[in-house]
Amino acid sequence: MIKIPNECLIEIFNNFQEDYITLFSCLLVSRQWCRIIVPILWSRPTDDFGDKRIIRIYLFALNVEEQALLIPFNIILPKNYPKPLFEYSTYTTSIGFYLTEGIENWLIDEGYGTDKSHYSIIIDYERVDDDDEPVSAVKCSLIKMLLRTSKKIKYFSLTKTNNKLIFENLYANTTITELSIEDIHFDSAEIKELMEFISLYDYKVKYKKINGLWKLLSHHIS
Amino acid sequence: MDNGTSNSASENETITLKSCDGIEFHIDARIANRYTLLNNWNGGESACIPNVNGKVLEKVLEWCEHHINDPQLNCGDDDSRRRNTIIEEWDENFLSCDQDMLFEIILAANYLEIKPLLDLGCKTVANMMKSKSPEEIRSAFNIDNDYTPEEEEQFRKENEWAEDY
Repeated sequence: MIKIPNECLIEIFNNFQEDYITLFSCLLVSRQWCRIIVPILWSRPTDDFGDKRIIRIYLFALNVEEQALLIPFNIILPKNYPKPLFEYSTYTTSIGFYLTEGIENWLIDEGYGTDKSHYSIIIDYERVDDDDEPVSAVKCSLIKMLLRTSKKIKYFSLTKTNNKLIFENLYANTTITELSIEDIHFDSAEIKELMEFISLYDYKVKYKKINGLWKLLSHHIS
Repeated sequence: MDNGTSNSASENETITLKSCDGIEFHIDARIANRYTLLNNWNGGESACIPNVNGKVLEKVLEWCEHHINDPQLNCGDDDSRRRNTIIEEWDENFLSCDQDMLFEIILAANYLEIKPLLDLGCKTVANMMKSKSPEEIRSAFNIDNDYTPEEEEQFRKENEWAEDY
């Protein structure tokens, strides 16, 4: 039997970019295959899915500083789970729009939102409670962690509740080339804050799209 | 080798390639013109293509000959290559050979940098895996499961979200 080298396997598996079911099957075939598939499978999971299981895996990667953000809200990290077999967060290329939904689902599952309607599941863009503090805290800690652990992030969907902390970390990560603001109003506090940071760190800005955004916002506000 | 001369290759010009087991092929020079690496072994008198035997080289060259008038794709544009998921009938028949030959063609296309044939072979193998269970894939491709049961179970749990989409 002829053995297919990794470089050809990558070509084969790249045909399954959106086919998560087949990727999942291939992942369980052998160790050689899983090493190739995990980076594909975990490259953009929050672009399309608000799954609590993805969030649970990500939470394992928080360091002490990131965990500290959760203390004021008495959010306890998952226990009784073995340490994940891979450092999944390092393969992330995108901080997607559905990260928030995943966090909300995880919090409900862990029993944090006793009033379920408070966290009611989102239909399309109708986020129910953007300013919910536990959601915001988990989101900050996860985004901080993703920006720290992955050196491949290209896309960042900026949603509400991204605070100063996130912006600071944004500048530490120079791989981002695309920033999406589909969820935020131009005149929101977040955008004003982002603008301040961009002007502050302007000399560091390497990102074409952020530069474009900066020009767009300057024009809009002036 | 010299792109200046090969670019002007006319229909009647031929070049000679020799497989690793010594079989000579006289092919249209325009084929070698499209796939630069083939040009490197032009003049098969002394040089031969390592790693590719006559049986496989014959298949590869048959494919190249059939596709001699295809528009050249920009090799750097991975997305456009991938997005084209339809396999033509001729290609489908061409690759409905036994699995070993299919894998040999993929290896040769990779080695000779014949990107469209590599993509086609990979797409064909991908279609053979589509919507199959891990067990079915293992038996179709004769792969041993080298996970420990505990490891497989944990791995399944960590990634099971993917199964639902």
